[in-house]
Amino acid sequence: MAARIGIFAVVVAVFLSIPAFSSAQDLQIVNAERRIDLSSHIVKDFLTLKVENIGISPAAEMLLAFSPTQIKNLAMVQALAITGKKKKKTYLPLDVKPAEQPDAPNDTGYYRVTFVSPLGPGETVSLEVLYILTNSLEPFPVEITQSESQLVYYHDSAVILSPYHVKQQTTFVKTPSTRVESFTSIEPANRAGKEIKYGPYENRASYSYAPVIIHFENNSPFAVVEELVREIEISHWGSLQITEHYRLTHGGARHKGVFSRVDYQSKRSVSGASSFNALLAVLPPRVNSVYYRDDIGNISTSHLRTGFRKSELEFEPRYPLFGGWRATFIIGYRVPLEDYLFEASDGRRYLNFTFGCPLVETIVNKLTIKVVLPEGSKDPYAILPFTVNQDLQVKYSYLDIVGRTVVVLQKDNVVPTHNVPFQVYYTFKPIYMLAEPFMLVSAFFFVFVASLAYVHIDLNIARK
Amino acid sequence: MAAKPIASPIPVALYPTLSVFTLTIGLVITAIFFIYETTSSRKNRSLGKELATSAVASVFLGFGSLFLLLASGVYV
Repeated sequence: MAARIGIFAVVVAVFLSIPAFSSAQDLQIVNAERRIDLSSHIVKDFLTLKVENIGISPAAEMLLAFSPTQIKNLAMVQALAITGKKKKKTYLPLDVKPAEQPDAPNDTGYYRVTFVSPLGPGETVSLEVLYILTNSLEPFPVEITQSESQLVYYHDSAVILSPYHVKQQTTFVKTPSTRVESFTSIEPANRAGKEIKYGPYENRASYSYAPVIIHFENNSPFAVVEELVREIEISHWGSLQITEHYRLTHGGARHKGVFSRVDYQSKRSVSGASSFNALLAVLPPRVNSVYYRDDIGNISTSHLRTGFRKSELEFEPRYPLFGGWRATFIIGYRVPLEDYLFEASDGRRYLNFTFGCPLVETIVNKLTIKVVLPEGSKDPYAILPFTVNQDLQVKYSYLDIVGRTVVVLQKDNVVPTHNVPFQVYYTFKPIYMLAEPFMLVSAFFFVFVASLAYVHIDLNIARK
Repeated sequence: MAAKPIASPIPVALYPTLSVFTLTIGLVITAIFFIYETTSSRKNRSLGKELATSAVASVFLGFGSLFLLLASGVYV
């Protein structure tokens, strides 16, 4: 069974067996523009690159380099190829995979981007790369009182780290507010309002790195879910029951001193500026029977708004969350089966559901998704656009004899960009659905047979 | 490449109605069975009739309890 569960889908395996690649010096980045968005605790970097092939052989791919700390915190890398000009631009998604280079200087990490078609000698291509970093904003001061604002450090390089020579580059950093305590100045660098501009820098050699530290104010809610277990139970009798167990923390500067409820309620704009008390969860459109509770019981501070394209659950934990505080709760809901279960052309059934966490702007440190397949399902197989750890378990539930197969998908460092559909395939013969009523029928029949036996058995000692 | 959605074999909105009807019929046949047991004497009893009545009653009661479970939200 274990051999059948591959970590990569077959399609991904084909992409990994790419033929020879061109050496690092064959490509050159003519122009690079990087925009770093530091508005929330999830750091989003947008890179616009213009790559030129200065070698003599066509290049099928290029490498993106990341520093060792960035590689650890990297949640997602996506690349798009831009074709066309001005108003008629089209974007084609490119394949991006982590790569290992044996001669990497200073433990640099790499991602390999495969072009749509191999780049001929002298040709240029425009790429847009998006990468998302988590846990990259370091609170400093580490502990703050209720009335203080939250200040964080962001470590990066003013010069883009690349295995290729970069002819011209500029970096724009966007901060959430105008309060920036300090920023490392690498000429030419200047700051205007909420934007810091590093550049333009000309003709930087490959692997050049200029570390900068930006110390700024960030009071956006640092909502971090330490652990989320989502259980999706499929019932062929008509519904999908989803139960989510959350362990939520505030991942910013730790709270020190007392918590004054009077200050918090009277001077809300000053007191607890970096704390948050409400969260938004985006649920599927036709959702019913939503509940929000924890170990104590039901939590009534929630509002559910159902809609045609999505439903929104705005909920509040029992107390506002300050730095280092935790809240544990369970959210559960039911959705109709026909929205998510389909039949493939080869007769197998598959569940099409959205991966990730329904909370907006939240990082999940450890996400586990358990898809409970009905009893009698065989050959479970999950297909996802990125790598996860797959496993199989057995769960015993209502009217079960042999137990239900559970497909367990586990992933670390999940951000809202991971909310993409995934599929779980399995085979199921519809006749197995009759096993449950058959069990109930035989239970009742046993009661009748017992009463028959009682009536028919003659326990008289004397002969009539 | 339109995927065919899979739904329950019986419309979900029918579960409460179906459960009431099947359980009522099942309980009526159970009543017939026990009335037969108590009103007939040992000589007149026919085992075939008893088994047939109990089989039909248990089928209706079994499906009725399944629909009752589904209607009350326990999707087994």
